[in-house]
Amino acid sequence: MEDPLHPFELHTIVPLSLFGLDVSINKAVIMMFIVVGLVILLLTKARSSGSLVPTKLQSMAELLVEFIRGMIHDTMGPEGMRFFPLIATLFLFILFCNLLGLMPGAYTVTSQLVVTGVFALGVYTLSLLVGLKIHGMKFLSILVPSGTPGWLLPLMVPIEIISQLARPVSLSVRLFANMTAGHVILGVLFGLAISGGLLIGWLPFSFTVALYGLEVGIAFIQAYIFTILTCVYMGDAFHLH
Amino acid sequence: MPSSPDPLFAGLGQAVRIGTNLLATLMVGGGLGWSIDSYLLPTEPWGLVGGLILGLIAGIRNAYRTAQRWDQS
Repeated sequence: MEDPLHPFELHTIVPLSLFGLDVSINKAVIMMFIVVGLVILLLTKARSSGSLVPTKLQSMAELLVEFIRGMIHDTMGPEGMRFFPLIATLFLFILFCNLLGLMPGAYTVTSQLVVTGVFALGVYTLSLLVGLKIHGMKFLSILVPSGTPGWLLPLMVPIEIISQLARPVSLSVRLFANMTAGHVILGVLFGLAISGGLLIGWLPFSFTVALYGLEVGIAFIQAYIFTILTCVYMGDAFHLH
Repeated sequence: MPSSPDPLFAGLGQAVRIGTNLLATLMVGGGLGWSIDSYLLPTEPWGLVGGLILGLIAGIRNAYRTAQRWDQS
């Protein structure tokens, strides 16, 4: 049977280097281009009709905008709408990476810790900068939970620092681990189905079909969780406590 | 916690958050303690032990807080 981690290996297709940096094109890069192109294509097409009675694509896009707007309003309040483009881009990119990665032969970009890690770090750094810009040095009070007695401070501040630093870690690891694990399980089950033959192979094959449906759900849920947590962290920067 | 337009999504989102948060705080706490041990102070192994304990406390506290906020809404 094939090594279940084999599909996650990346091989350089077009070697490139820019100022000494390795920017070679591999399967993941091509996949990201496809995702970005597809999102742009779908959204411009949805926008182009612009009729009062929406087409199918247009009403999908309107639903999406309403969904993301609701997410931002719930967590950040109306002033968070400034970040609508960022949040919507994140959500669409991760969602399409997850979904397109489920196609046989495609590559799941979000199964690379580098990709999710950069997203999580970027979002988290942005939330810190926004907080510092709005509140100045008062922003450091996120490290002191409200209502802490003075003698507990030496214990609470390190705990708060750890839980702050854990935010980007959990954000990136969650997305990466869910996508990787799901694809590994699918791969293993399908391998079993093939090696099982007709006699017993139908059993793992039916599991594969069922799990595939579950994976489509997970693709949506993980994209949703990543974006809603981004909103929550941004909201924490807006409103202290 | 904020109410999302879809209750199933919101519930699942909450549930998944707590588990990974525990793991992440443990990793960060242990990592910080370990790096203090190896690079800053000659306290090996107490930095790692203390870091792990603090990470565990932080993780459980976060889980408790998330659950509490969820309960309120």
